[in-house]
Amino acid sequence: MKNNKTGLVFFPAFDWAISPTHPEREERLLYTRDQIFEEGVLDLPEIEEYAPRLATIHDIARVHFCVPRVQSQVTEAHLIAAGSATLLADAIVHGELKNGFALVRPPGHHAMRVVHGNRGFCNINNEAILVEYLRRHHGIKRIAIVDSDVHHGDGTQDIFYHDPDVLFISFHQDGRTIYPGTGFPNELGGPGAYARTINIPLPPGLGDETFHYVVDNLILPILEDFKPEFIINSAGQDNHFTDPLGSMRFTARGYAEFTRKLNPHLAVLEGGYAIETALPYVNLAILLALAGHDYSYVREPEWPGTMPENPERVARVQRVVEQLRNVWENRDRVDLDKIFGTGTFYQRRKHIYYDTDYIEEEQLERVRRCPNCPGYITIDSRADHGYGHPNRVFCVSIPFTACGACQTEAYDAYEQARGLAQYQFVYLQDKSTDTFLAFDRDKGQEWVSEGPKVGE
Amino acid sequence: MYIGIDVGGTCTDAVLLDRGLVRAMAKVPTREDLLSSLLEALDEIMKGVEGELVERVVFSTTVITNLIAEKKYDPVGLILMPGPGLSPSLYRFPTDTHIIQGAIDYRGREIIPLRLTEVDQAAAELAARGYRKVAVVGKFSCRNHRHEKEVAARVLWNYPDWHVELGHQVAGQLNFPRRVVSTYLTCATREKYQFFVRSVQEAISQRGIKGAIFILKADGGTLPLESSLEVPVETIFSGPAASTLGVQALTPPGETAVVVDIGGTTTDLALILSGQPLLASRGARVDDMLTHVRALAVKSVPVGGDSVVERVGKDIIIYSERLGAPYCLGGPLPTPTDALRVLGLTRLGDVDRAREAMQMLGAPLGLSVAEVASRVTTRVIETITREIEAMFSRWEQEPAYRVWEVLQKKKVRPSTVVGVGGGAAGFVSQIAARLGCYPVIPPYAPVANAIGAAVARPTLQVTLRADTEQGIYIIQEEGYQGKITERSFNEEKALELAKEWLCKRAARHGLEDCVEGLEVTRREVFNMVRDWVTVGRLIDVTVQTRRGILYHVGAGGTSE
Repeated sequence: MKNNKTGLVFFPAFDWAISPTHPEREERLLYTRDQIFEEGVLDLPEIEEYAPRLATIHDIARVHFCVPRVQSQVTEAHLIAAGSATLLADAIVHGELKNGFALVRPPGHHAMRVVHGNRGFCNINNEAILVEYLRRHHGIKRIAIVDSDVHHGDGTQDIFYHDPDVLFISFHQDGRTIYPGTGFPNELGGPGAYARTINIPLPPGLGDETFHYVVDNLILPILEDFKPEFIINSAGQDNHFTDPLGSMRFTARGYAEFTRKLNPHLAVLEGGYAIETALPYVNLAILLALAGHDYSYVREPEWPGTMPENPERVARVQRVVEQLRNVWENRDRVDLDKIFGTGTFYQRRKHIYYDTDYIEEEQLERVRRCPNCPGYITIDSRADHGYGHPNRVFCVSIPFTACGACQTEAYDAYEQARGLAQYQFVYLQDKSTDTFLAFDRDKGQEWVSEGPKVGE
Repeated sequence: MYIGIDVGGTCTDAVLLDRGLVRAMAKVPTREDLLSSLLEALDEIMKGVEGELVERVVFSTTVITNLIAEKKYDPVGLILMPGPGLSPSLYRFPTDTHIIQGAIDYRGREIIPLRLTEVDQAAAELAARGYRKVAVVGKFSCRNHRHEKEVAARVLWNYPDWHVELGHQVAGQLNFPRRVVSTYLTCATREKYQFFVRSVQEAISQRGIKGAIFILKADGGTLPLESSLEVPVETIFSGPAASTLGVQALTPPGETAVVVDIGGTTTDLALILSGQPLLASRGARVDDMLTHVRALAVKSVPVGGDSVVERVGKDIIIYSERLGAPYCLGGPLPTPTDALRVLGLTRLGDVDRAREAMQMLGAPLGLSVAEVASRVTTRVIETITREIEAMFSRWEQEPAYRVWEVLQKKKVRPSTVVGVGGGAAGFVSQIAARLGCYPVIPPYAPVANAIGAAVARPTLQVTLRADTEQGIYIIQEEGYQGKITERSFNEEKALELAKEWLCKRAARHGLEDCVEGLEVTRREVFNMVRDWVTVGRLIDVTVQTRRGILYHVGAGGTSE
């Protein structure tokens, strides 16, 4: 039962905002609604609109360690945004749809594995929740996420950094010139997932031509090699030439052409804050491209025509592309011990700043270098909210395809941390059995989320 | 006294209501000349009643439906300003279409100017092909109608005797292709409808009736006949709306019910949710084109009492067509009505002929007459039940754009199944049983449609959109654009202004009485923030007169 339809969940969350004047506010998709409604796009037989649905707390716990718990970090709007992506994914996997667009707010790609608050307008990561949902509910293993937001998708990168089955590709404005300041070509994934993370920083001011150079010469060839079963586009639209936060010069048509070439199963809206000059046009163009329609008549009023690009910057991008292609082609011949050392654990220290909530977080992340599976991960996290004592938590994550030994060790690590006084909360996320535990020291209580049983 | 008349495809039904009681009813066949059927039915219920006692007459008519279905109208050309967006090749309209430059954006700002030479050229080409009617529609014209007006002025300057219809005057909601179709159909039918309305007014006044004359719209509201001249297309599909309102009038208030109107060839399904008929979320489909015409959510299932039943191989199949009366009434082929007759679920027709019909179907399969009959009725019941379930889940699947809307969505299931129409009696109890509901066949079920027309309330609504940054406001239904002069314009003032406009509008239609108990159905305010500073507000307010019916019939005439 293969269908040729494109599914749309349009959830503008007209009653949700971070704050009244924040760029991520109620008005953000207002003009997009007007444009899409006025065009009559929803009447096209190839496009089917779906009612949104809520993700479950369990769906969130499968991905994030929310401190102290999921309910304290998410609002209903977050659950609806994430749930809408999984709803469309269900319809795609069942063959009701060929692809879909979750045109939803709030966004999520800056939300990392551990969540102490809101960073970069994000609390929970819609794409990551979708990936784990696809694996748990549909047994889909190899998934690619291509992030086309002007900001580096650092949250998504963080969550899948040690996951060999998830390819994460992000192109974005150079981190030295924009939030969150990361996403350089040398961030390539951990020892068990080397070259499964690909970052392409772009110098400010570049336009469609360079954008498509990167797509044609790097992104598409890598995807062809990786052969994902499911492709997700983390569809940020702030590379647009009118965006107030980014400094890139992409157009609606550039985005649509990218969508056509990438041919994702599902596009999930991320950023994009030119709510009048870009979003109505970019969203429309992407939707038309997904539905296989002509998008060449979509043109922003301020459309500048072709823009000359700085040749020196273009050359810089070409060098990065060449370098990353090299990395990709040689990914299996690399001596990982030389890069990551030879210990049983690979560890890194991270400092994470929550720009929206002003939280400083220090992390020590350790991943077990296991020959039989991607290895379990532990995170020792301390968050300073700027008042009182910092919050310190310990998190253990067992991957979906964990081996028995890693699973046993991980449970031991959880038990051990429960006995240590410095941690206020200790978490265990067992993706292999879909069971999530949290221990609250002050209350001396443990809560368990086992999710719905088979057949429910 | 109130009169309701429903001119249907086969029958014209009429009732005379006196303070909530049915004084007289009539059923006459609908003839080619609708007016004569209408008058015949009217005369029948008016026997012995003075015309002066009639306060209002409401009728629903198939005149526009037929005009459109039979394409009995003059050709209409299109001049469109779609601007940037969808490829014009995706817009396929059934007539000569000229696309010219010029574009308005979502906030009503001009983004591409018009070129009048293109207007001249388009009009000349239409003229050369014999058109004298033209619909002019621009994208976002409901936010700013300047381009449409300029084009119309230019066309009429060249061809003063042409009939030009403008998009913003026909439909104020967003959806350009639907606005085009609505405008096209309005342009096509206006003249003929005008003629019909004049004849009705003439005929009714000849009967000595001085009360107000209303016409029912697809959304179940009424309009004074005179005002309906502005929006002829809205009178389409008023038949199913009439039946639904009739059921609403004949059942207790506040009920959640499915209306099953089983006719000869089709079964119309509608929903009443907590006492209110469900409106379709988008405009109706007319002659396979999508329009802006607001309508009740009615699903027509192609099966009825007279549907043809045939044996194909080992299967018994019900076709969606009618080839005359049921066999038991002298028709050529077996039908579900014959099955009902055999099972004793109806008294229509000749039982022996009904048995013969079942015999013809069942003999080659070795089935008894009763077995065939129950198989046929089960088929019909299954088809209808499936459609009812689908209707509820479609309603649950309606998109929502706010958090609270998503959260309040819950599964609603009906408590009753109300049957009206000829075939209702035989099927409704079994349909209800399958859905776990009570079956109800209200008194006067055969003329529920006419009762619905009689008790329908007039409806008027006004949608105001204010853009305080640009200092303008729009009244969607009136195609009016005004300036905001007050500096402290806010949501409350917008609401006051909308109410003022509704009163004005009501006065213009002679409906001053119904402005009481206004309802605010939409209230949206968005801050426009530029560079972290609020520069203005977008305020959308919709106010309408109370929807629903004037009173429940048989309940002593108490107003709802």
